[in-house]
Amino acid sequence: MASIEFKNVSHSFEIAEGKDKLEWAVKDMNIVWEDGTANALLGPSGCGKTTMLNIISGLLTPSKGKVYIDGKDVTELSTRERHISQVFQFPVIYDSMNVYNNLSFPLVNMNFPKSKIKEKVMKIAEILGLVDYLDAPSSKLNSAEKQKVSLGRGIVRDDTVGILLDEPLTVIDPKLRGELRRQLKMIQSELKITAIYVTHDQHEALTFADKVAIVKDGQLVQIGSPYDLYYNPASPFVGYFIGSPGMNILDAKLNGSTLSLNGFKIELSKDITDKMEIKNSECQLGIRPEEIITSKERTTETISIKVAIIENMGSYKILTLIKKNGSNRDLSIKTRIDIDMSVSKGDIVYLKFPEKYLKIFKDNHKIY
Amino acid sequence: MGIRIKNVNKSFGKHLVLDDVSLEIKDGGFVSFLAPTGAGKTTLLRIIAGLERPDKGQGKVFYDDVDVTDIPVRERNIAMVYQDFINYPSMTVYENIASPLKVSKNKMSEKEIDKKVREIAELLSLSDLFKHYPSETSGGQQQRIAIARALVKDTKYIFLDEPLANLDYKLREELRGQLKETFSYNRKGLIIYATADPLDALILSSHVGFLHQGKILQYDILDKIYNYPQYIEVASYFSNPTMNFLGANLVKENDDYFLKITDELKVKIDSKFKNKLDKREYLLGIRAQAINPNRQTKNDVIIKGIIELVEVVGSDTEIHFKYNDFRLLSLSKKIGSFKIGNLVELFIDPSQFYVFDKDTRRLVYRMVGEK
Repeated sequence: MASIEFKNVSHSFEIAEGKDKLEWAVKDMNIVWEDGTANALLGPSGCGKTTMLNIISGLLTPSKGKVYIDGKDVTELSTRERHISQVFQFPVIYDSMNVYNNLSFPLVNMNFPKSKIKEKVMKIAEILGLVDYLDAPSSKLNSAEKQKVSLGRGIVRDDTVGILLDEPLTVIDPKLRGELRRQLKMIQSELKITAIYVTHDQHEALTFADKVAIVKDGQLVQIGSPYDLYYNPASPFVGYFIGSPGMNILDAKLNGSTLSLNGFKIELSKDITDKMEIKNSECQLGIRPEEIITSKERTTETISIKVAIIENMGSYKILTLIKKNGSNRDLSIKTRIDIDMSVSKGDIVYLKFPEKYLKIFKDNHKIY
Repeated sequence: MGIRIKNVNKSFGKHLVLDDVSLEIKDGGFVSFLAPTGAGKTTLLRIIAGLERPDKGQGKVFYDDVDVTDIPVRERNIAMVYQDFINYPSMTVYENIASPLKVSKNKMSEKEIDKKVREIAELLSLSDLFKHYPSETSGGQQQRIAIARALVKDTKYIFLDEPLANLDYKLREELRGQLKETFSYNRKGLIIYATADPLDALILSSHVGFLHQGKILQYDILDKIYNYPQYIEVASYFSNPTMNFLGANLVKENDDYFLKITDELKVKIDSKFKNKLDKREYLLGIRAQAINPNRQTKNDVIIKGIIELVEVVGSDTEIHFKYNDFRLLSLSKKIGSFKIGNLVELFIDPSQFYVFDKDTRRLVYRMVGEK
């Protein structure tokens, strides 16, 4: 396996069409996928992540910038010459062959000795949990097993430098999806494959990857571990996209140390104001539903707000709270409370925003 | 008043999908049929709606005690929402929502129609989209348009077949909250909702029916079926994430009885439950939420496990770990930083165990007792 790198990679499909005004599907991306690591590209559909994947595999040559594998410039190399293997949404296997022949196919093509092939196929079959199916016709496998065979054909070769997984669970039977999601992660961590997993699904990305790149409108919004993305989102988009429900993002106005929101104020301590370069401005306050303290008792520093929706999640409840604010926009906040706290729709509850969990954003960037 | 089905059988070819199902559902609720794919929930919903018939002579469907088994769906006063967002592509959002009222037999004036459309659109946050066509809206909006068309008719019964299944998770999360709000609005009839997602059932329902192999294994009010699942199958599926199960032996030490899982993990049996236990082995169920990397109660038992896998789900972390020969699941709040292969200390709240009979697969009792 190897490391893969993008240096100033941009791509526009319109250059080829000869248009003057270009739309960039991928904009000036710099990113390194380290050798042996589990990575994900996460973003809504149309964000450019599939274009990135095609640039890595060599199906597309980027309009600008370079692609490196282990430090070597491969920008002009074909897909075949790059030795990157790909798992697609639909399992790609030879239905007419049995599982053994599917897995051994790449090695047979490379003229490996028979005994060596057997050893490698057996090892891969064991890791994939396919030993009992080796003689079975591939057409008899379920969708998850077929997808594992697709993966197996890539990792059976020693010269594979990395595996790209393009929404690999999309067409898998829902009943088998959870199990395959877990198996893909286990296989990666056991074999230390350089893997890049593309998905719009937060659960899949954060489970699979140690490092997740969030992509929006062709740009990298943030790269980090699931933990980083959750605790230190670089923008309101990441705060909202990671976590369920997402981070509350509330319009605010900063005046010195006072943060004014729709209908209430928060006094910021010197710790925070010292760290912010901006003192007076429109901004956004971010706080996660699970960090807000919700109480039925009024104390100082709390704000009062009315319960609009209660969602019982089994071990906790999610409240949607709304404060009417005259002709201005209503203030809407979600909080997470203990299952034992009894509340009814229409009740007034009191909120406290612990300072250590506050995030402040301006123009889509975190300023604190 | 409500819906009653009696001894319904349904087969497709040789495959028996519904096996002698009888159920009485009273008006005024939001009922979920919960089951994994293939258990028969959609078929049951379609039979109740009139989109399918029970096998010949095998079962009846009653609306308010009137036999409707042979009444075609268009003559029934119902509305249906499907998994795929079905709207008229050549009509605007406004026209789509108004369309059921325009073709209705009870002619409404344009003014009445307009009032009704606006009211429903407001409820589903569609008012700003009136002039758009469905193809110009997002998946979540398209499904809301379909739901608006179902609601606008003011039918007594509304049936929804996995309406959130095709949405990605952020939209599902948003629409689920909105559905809850929408359906609490001024409704006297009955809503039946088929779903494979335990969270849908938990958040939206007043009552839940769990289907297993073509039968309704348990039908109860939400609180009862979630907190007192009567079968292993119900407990396992209607947990989010799935419930852990551990084998345990009944042992006597001094004068006390215990259900012993391992030497360190044994649960004392309250004397009032002792008479319920007459076998040697039981299966103990515990939800992942009751196994936590942080102490929950002073009675917590501490166990050590090896982390096999970590999954991030929403704002929580599922830790899959191995404890002795058991593969277990712990759910911890927030997104944690846990490494595969590491040893982890976990706290189990023993009052959260459910005791199941291994043979009958039925709930014997729940440790914490009736609330």
